[in-house]
Amino acid sequence: MTASKTTSLKAILARHEVVLLLVIAVEVLLFSTLGRRFLDGSNVSNIFRHSVEIGLLALVMTPVILTGGIDLSVGSMMGLCAVCFGIFVKEAQLSPLVAGFLSVGIGTIGGGLNAFLIARLKLPPLIVTLGTFSLFRGLAEALTKGSKSYSAFPDSFLALGNSQVAGLPAQVWIFLVVALGIYVLVHHTTFGRSFRAIGFSPEGSRYAGLSVEKNVSLAYVLAGAVAGLAAVIFVARLGEARANAGIGYELLAITAVVLGGTSIFGGSGTVIGTLLGYVAVAVLNNGLKRVMDFQLLDRKISDMASELSGVLTGLLLIAALAVTPLLRILASRRSRSQN
Amino acid sequence: MKRSRFLCSLAVLCAVPFLGACKKSESGAGGGKKLTIAFLPKSKGNQYFVTCERGARAAANELGAELLFDGPTNSDPAKQNEIVENWISLGVDVIAAACENKEGLSTALRKAQAAGIKVVTYDADAQPDARTFFVNQATEKGIGDALLDNAAKLVGDEGEFAIITANLTAANQNAWIAAIKARQAEKYPKMKLVDIKPCDDLKDKAQQETTNLLGAHPNLKAVISVCSPGVPGAAEAVKQAGKTGTVKVVGLGLPSENKAYVKEGVTQLVILWKVEDLGYLAIKAGAALADGSLKPGASEFNAGKLGTLKVEGDNILLGTPFAFTKENIDQFDF
Repeated sequence: MTASKTTSLKAILARHEVVLLLVIAVEVLLFSTLGRRFLDGSNVSNIFRHSVEIGLLALVMTPVILTGGIDLSVGSMMGLCAVCFGIFVKEAQLSPLVAGFLSVGIGTIGGGLNAFLIARLKLPPLIVTLGTFSLFRGLAEALTKGSKSYSAFPDSFLALGNSQVAGLPAQVWIFLVVALGIYVLVHHTTFGRSFRAIGFSPEGSRYAGLSVEKNVSLAYVLAGAVAGLAAVIFVARLGEARANAGIGYELLAITAVVLGGTSIFGGSGTVIGTLLGYVAVAVLNNGLKRVMDFQLLDRKISDMASELSGVLTGLLLIAALAVTPLLRILASRRSRSQN
Repeated sequence: MKRSRFLCSLAVLCAVPFLGACKKSESGAGGGKKLTIAFLPKSKGNQYFVTCERGARAAANELGAELLFDGPTNSDPAKQNEIVENWISLGVDVIAAACENKEGLSTALRKAQAAGIKVVTYDADAQPDARTFFVNQATEKGIGDALLDNAAKLVGDEGEFAIITANLTAANQNAWIAAIKARQAEKYPKMKLVDIKPCDDLKDKAQQETTNLLGAHPNLKAVISVCSPGVPGAAEAVKQAGKTGTVKVVGLGLPSENKAYVKEGVTQLVILWKVEDLGYLAIKAGAALADGSLKPGASEFNAGKLGTLKVEGDNILLGTPFAFTKENIDQFDF
């Protein structure tokens, strides 16, 4: 038996990222066989165009979760930044570029508020961001009295959400830049690598001389800033700025991160894993919409795509989480029966 | 480590029942020149749109067209756009849409038009340049006339009546009230509008306001509600005041919400368009636009089983609203 070869193969297969890559491959294979024009260029563009905002949130959610925290406020932050962007352009008559930077600034300030409450006042992240989740959305609704929306933006701005640049949707290039930035930060800087150390053991990290407060703060500020960026892209895609932008996106982002193998308790996880988790969900959401030649319970699968992708994403996530404890139980039972 | 293998087999196990339950649909993979029509509701779970879809399906079957149906299942404002963009890249022939976010969805519908897809809207319009026709379920005058004509018939063309509205600034409701006032001045000189009360779209508030109205105007003959929660609210107040039958209740609302009161005889009738016909007409109009038999500027449209309908500007009119009464309300489930 070629022991060394099998173990190395096993070691590769055991990596969470490889498993996710297989899941994506199976999805692509399945949808390109069963679906209509799934691999069509315009559809592949759609997959990413429609999910880039969630992808951005997932990227910045990764450092937050690595430190053992959580940020439930990013979706609401998108709503607030979208509304502010609309006000800057439509009421203050600023150029979309300036308004975009200001919106990212507002996101940064909002993230700073989270950071202050969590890192400085040592309040629990779940409770703090649950508070700002309501606060940011509430502000967005108050600024627009619940129903006002801003539209009729210049075409040059809408191109950010709707045009192709060098074969990819314009906003995907922004996403790739942010992804590269977060990857380098988390995996190739001393500063970023400490995210995991903090998540693994905050006290230990402090004794080891890491500036825990500064690190944790940066994770939340970054999340806020990128939520602002996601809001601008979202407005460019829809051509409308309204208080309900990004509703529920925080949970979709967390799903991608956890599916990507990051422990919800912090301490372990990778940016590549998050990216793969995000792609797996995005492909699933889009692919099901393409399966119109097959029926389930007398309806076209494409007619129930959103419902089914909810079910399947849920199953995938639960499966990914349940594997480790289930294997442990199986292993202990086996060893007991052998004794 | 067996973790990976386990995860893989788990994924396969999940997929097996899913695939097993699937069956190839009869329609085939778009072979030939079959028309593909996509039908977008404001939201998917809403009984109103489920009923619309039933009519849409009937029309698609009649036309031998393939119908795609998808809509938002949550409140994410981007969902309608994503569905439309998905249909664009799929290359459908016609899109019939009810817009939740008028401005936002117009962006996607314009893209669809640019890609050569025919676009009609129904129930809730987009911006005019984002579609060719709007299938209009009822004009302001149509609703106002239907409400007052029916109320007048019930009270013998004379006596005091009051209106329950959503709130005093609601544009739709105010337009309908203006239509009612105009109709009254023109056709029913012996009827008198004594009061207009807002109910904030709440049944409880409507009930309370109606109770006050009944006290303040002992000669009141009829209550007309121009918002749907106001109809059952007014009915409950009339019933509790023991004035069932003496004070007539009519209004704009869903038959299902009013069934109990209509059958008891508290509410005499509710007015609404036939929702199923709205879906049917949207598909018919979309298909006619695609085959060239309906063109911008047309003044009428032959809509199959609905007969010939009027076209005003770029609005195709579904016609006069339908009155749901004790006799027919059981036939409707929306």
